Amino acid sequence: MVAAVVVLAGGLVLSVAAAVTVGPADLSLGTVWLVITGHLGLTSADVPLLRDHIVWELRLPRVLGAALVGAGLAACGAVMQTVTRNPLADPYLLGVSSGASLGAVAVLVLGLGAGAAALTGGAFVGALAAFAVVVAAAGRRAVLRPTRVVLAGVAVAQLCAALTTFVIIWAAHPHATQSITFWLSGSLARVDWTALGWATPLLAAGFAVILRCARALNAFAFGEEAAAALGVDVGRVRWLLLVTTALLTAVLVSISGAIGFVGLILPHAVRRFTGPDHRRLLPVVVLAGAIFLIWVDTAARTLFEPRELPVGVLTALIGVPAFVLLLRRGDRNT
Amino acid sequence: MRFLTSWRVAAPLSVVLALVGGCAASGDSEPAATASAAGPVAFTNCGTSVTVPSPPARAVTMNQSATEIMLALGLEDRMAGTAYLDDEVLPEYAAAYAKVPVLAEEYPSKEKLLELAPDFVYGSFSSAFGDEGAGDRADWQKLGVGTYISAAGCPKETRPAKLAIDDVFAEIREIAAIFGVADRAETLIAGQKQRIVDVSAGAKGTGVLWWDNGTDAPSAGACCGSPAMIMSAAGVTNIFDDLTGNWADTNWETVVERNPDVIVLIDASWDTAAAKQAFLEKHPALKDLPAVKGKRYVTLPFSSTSAGVRNVLAVEALARGVGGVSS
Repeated sequence: MVAAVVVLAGGLVLSVAAAVTVGPADLSLGTVWLVITGHLGLTSADVPLLRDHIVWELRLPRVLGAALVGAGLAACGAVMQTVTRNPLADPYLLGVSSGASLGAVAVLVLGLGAGAAALTGGAFVGALAAFAVVVAAAGRRAVLRPTRVVLAGVAVAQLCAALTTFVIIWAAHPHATQSITFWLSGSLARVDWTALGWATPLLAAGFAVILRCARALNAFAFGEEAAAALGVDVGRVRWLLLVTTALLTAVLVSISGAIGFVGLILPHAVRRFTGPDHRRLLPVVVLAGAIFLIWVDTAARTLFEPRELPVGVLTALIGVPAFVLLLRRGDRNT
Repeated sequence: MRFLTSWRVAAPLSVVLALVGGCAASGDSEPAATASAAGPVAFTNCGTSVTVPSPPARAVTMNQSATEIMLALGLEDRMAGTAYLDDEVLPEYAAAYAKVPVLAEEYPSKEKLLELAPDFVYGSFSSAFGDEGAGDRADWQKLGVGTYISAAGCPKETRPAKLAIDDVFAEIREIAAIFGVADRAETLIAGQKQRIVDVSAGAKGTGVLWWDNGTDAPSAGACCGSPAMIMSAAGVTNIFDDLTGNWADTNWETVVERNPDVIVLIDASWDTAAAKQAFLEKHPALKDLPAVKGKRYVTLPFSSTSAGVRNVLAVEALARGVGGVSS
C-alpha cells in the first residue's frame, strides 16, 4: 500500500515534469528546464522573456492546476459515492456545478463585474448558493438523508440549468456564446498562479478533512445502523462530508468549469485495485486523479494545436467508454 | 464605359465615391443573374434555386449587413421592414433607414413576417431562415416569395471555401440585379474597390492577431471567413492563417510564440475592445508581448466584420492602423 502511494507520487512528479515540456509552442526540453530551474533560483539562465512566460505563466500553472482539479474531483467522487450510497454519484451531484454555471454565465452575459476574477467569483457564489438551496430543501432539523439530498440536488441542478439556458437565450448574442460553451465544457486554460494561490490551501484543507474521515467512510459503506453501531455519529459526519465535498467542488468548478466523468469513473477504477477501504482508496484516488487529468489536459491543448479543445470534452470521450467497460464487467465493490 | 453610364443612376446615392481613373475594371465578372427591370430573375443562392418573378417591392431584411446593402443601393422605398441590428446603421444611410419599419430587435417571428406579406426576404446568415427566424426557405418559395442569404452566411457546404471581398461584391451585384438596379451596384463596387486600393499598399507583411472574443481559448480569425477576407484585402498577414474555418478557438501559448505585430480587438457590446485590452495588459504572459507593450491595437466594431458594405471601413481602419504603427 505504501509502495503504491510512493510509486504514484513519483508518477505524479514525473507527469508534471513531462507535461510541462509539451505544448503548442515549439520549445526545447532544455529551454523549458532552464526556465523552471531559473525561477526556482537553481540556475541563472538567459531565456527570452516571451519563452519564459510560455513555460512559467502558461504551462506550469496549468499543469499544476490540472493535477489539483483531477485530485479534487476524484476525491469528491469517491466520498460522494460512499456518503450517498449511490455508485452513480459524482462531485456535481448536489447541484453545485449547475449553480456555478449559472453564476458564471450571469457574470459573462449580463456583464456583472469584469474579467476573469469576476467569472471565478460568480461561479463560486453560484455554487454555494445552489448548495444552500439544496440543504434548505432537503434538510430538516439538521438531519440530511442521502435520498432527499440527492433528489433536492437533482431538482436544483435542473432549475439552474434552465435558468442558465434562459440567460443565454435572453441576453447573449449568438456570436458571444463561444466563451460560455468553452467554460461550461470545462477547461483548465484560465488557471494561473493567482488561482493556484487561493485554491491550493482550500483544497488541501478539504483533503485533510476527507482523509481524517476515512475510517468513518468505511463504516458508512456498511449502512447507517452499522455505522452507528461502530460508534460513528452518522448525522454529524454526513453533514461534515457533504459540506466539505460541496465546498471543494465549488472551488474546483470555479477555476475550471465542470469537468465531467473524472469524479465518477476514477473512484470506481481505483477501487478495483485498492478495494473498498477508504484508508487505501483515498490517497490512491487523489494521486490517480491528478495524473489522469494532467495527461488528458495535455492532450486537449496539443492534439489539434494550435486549436484547443475544452478538456471536459475529452474526459467524457475517454470516460464514457471506460464507464461502459466497468459496467459490463460488473463492479463488485459498489 | 459602364462606369460612365452608371454615374447618372448612382448620383443620388449619398455614398461619396472616389471614382479615380482606371477603377472601372471592376466590371470584370458578370452578375450571376441577368438584370432586367421587368422579367423574372432566376439564380442559385447557397445551393437553393430561387426565382424572383419581378423586382420585389416589399422586401424584408433580416440582418444588418443585408439592410445596409439594400440602403447602399438606394432601395429603401422597396423595403417593407428590417430587423436585427448589431450596431447603429451607418450615418450616411440613417435618413433612408428611418423610413423603413423595424420589425424586431432580433429576428421577427415567422407569423409576424407573414402578416407583413413580403415579396422578398433577405438575410445575412442562414440562421435568418432557422426556427428562430423566418423558417424554411422552401416554404417561402412555395408562397412565391424570393429568399436570399449572403454567400458568407451560407451553410458550410455551400459557403465559399475561402471568402473573398469579391464574394461580397458578387452579392451586391446579385441583389442589384434582382431589384433591377444593376448600374448602382457597379458604381458602389467601383468606389469600394478604389478605397481598398488606396490604403492596402503600406501594410504588407505585418503579422496580425484577430481576436474576436473569449479569454480562456481566444477565438481568432482563421483562414477562410470574413476576418481573413478583411486582413487579406488590407494586405496584412494573419498569424492564424493555418487554421481552418472562419474563426477558431486557439490558445495564448501559440499567440505568444507567434508574437503578432498588431492585435485586432473586435469591439462588440457583448465583449468590448476595452475589456479585451484590459485583459491583455493584466495577463502575466501576454502583458510583455511587444504588441501589447506598444499598445499596437486596431479596434474594429463587430458590425464592420460581417460581409457587407461596411467591410471596406474595416479594411481602411486595419490598413491605416497597421500603417500608422509599423512604419
